[in-house]
Amino acid sequence: MDIQSLLQTLQDTAIATLIRESDTCFPALESLHVIGIALVLGTIVVVDLRLLGIAAHRPGALRLIKEMLPFTWAAFVTCVVTGVLMFMANATTYAENPMFLWKMGLLGLAGLNMAIFHLGAFRRIHEWDTDLPPPTQARIAGFSSLALWTGVIFLGRWIAFV
Amino acid sequence: MSAEFIAWLYASSLSTSIRDMLWVVPTVQSVHIIAIAAIFGSAVISDLRLAGVVAVDRPAREVIARYYPWMRNALLVLLATGLIMIIGEPDRVLVNSTFWLKMALVIGAFAVAWSIRRPLLKPAPGGPQSDAIHPGIKVLAWLSIALWCVVIFCGRWIAYSI
Repeated sequence: MDIQSLLQTLQDTAIATLIRESDTCFPALESLHVIGIALVLGTIVVVDLRLLGIAAHRPGALRLIKEMLPFTWAAFVTCVVTGVLMFMANATTYAENPMFLWKMGLLGLAGLNMAIFHLGAFRRIHEWDTDLPPPTQARIAGFSSLALWTGVIFLGRWIAFV
Repeated sequence: MSAEFIAWLYASSLSTSIRDMLWVVPTVQSVHIIAIAAIFGSAVISDLRLAGVVAVDRPAREVIARYYPWMRNALLVLLATGLIMIIGEPDRVLVNSTFWLKMALVIGAFAVAWSIRRPLLKPAPGGPQSDAIHPGIKVLAWLSIALWCVVIFCGRWIAYSI
C-alpha cells in the first residue's frame, strides 16, 4: 500500500470521520493539545533556563530535571495522542502541508538534541549539578532546545494558515 | 460594544493593516501560545507546590516567589497579543460571547491565583522560612489549575463560535 492510499485509509476510518464531522470534537482535541503544549513547553523552558544558568526553584540541576521530566512526558503523550487524532481526521491534507512537515522535522531535531544532552553532559551532571552557569555543552543543549521548541510552536500555528 | 464602534475599529488603518499583512495574525497567535505556556507552566508548578504534590522539600514561599513574576509578565504579553488580535478582527471577537466568557474567566483565574499567592509573597511573620499555609489552599490551588484549563478551552472555542 503506498503512502497516499494509507493516508486515505486512515482518513476514512470511523474515528477519523467522527472527528471530522463533529462540531465539538476537533476544537476539544485542539484545546487539549494546547494544554499539553503549555506543559511541554513550560516544563522544558524551566529546565532549559536552568541549563543556561538561570535558577529555577531548586539549586540542583539533576533533581530539577528528574522532577520536571514526568510532567513533560505526560504532556507530550497528550500532544501526540491529540495530534494523531487530529492528523487522522484530515490525513491527506496535512501530509501535503509544508508547515506540518517542517514541524515534524523540528520535533525530531528537538528529540535528537535531548538525546545528545542525555548521552553527553547529563552523564557528568554530578560534576556540575549546582554550578551556575553550567558547562558549555549543557548551555548549548538548553539554547538549542529553546530555539527548536519555539520553532515547533510557530510551525504548529502556521499549519492552519497555509 | 456597539456595532458602530466595531465598524469604526474594523475600518481603521491599524485594523486593516493587521488583516492585510497575512503574517501578523499567525505570528501574534504563536507568541500568545508561548505566553500561555509561560503562565500555565508557572501556575501549575507553583499551584502543585501549594497542593503538596511537587517540590515539597522547597519552602512554598520560594517556589511562589520564583514563578509569580513569570505569571505576571506572561499575562502582560497575553493582553498585548490579545489586543492586537481584537484590533485586527473586532467583528469576529467583540460580538463573540465565548470571548467575553473567556475574559471573565481570565479575571477570575488571576484573582484566585493572586489571592492564594499574596500572603506568601509578603514577608512572613514567623521569618523567611515559615510556611504557614491556609488549610483551604490545596482546593484553591487545584481550582486555579482547572480555571486556567477552562480559559484555554474558551480561547480555542472563540474561532468556532461565530
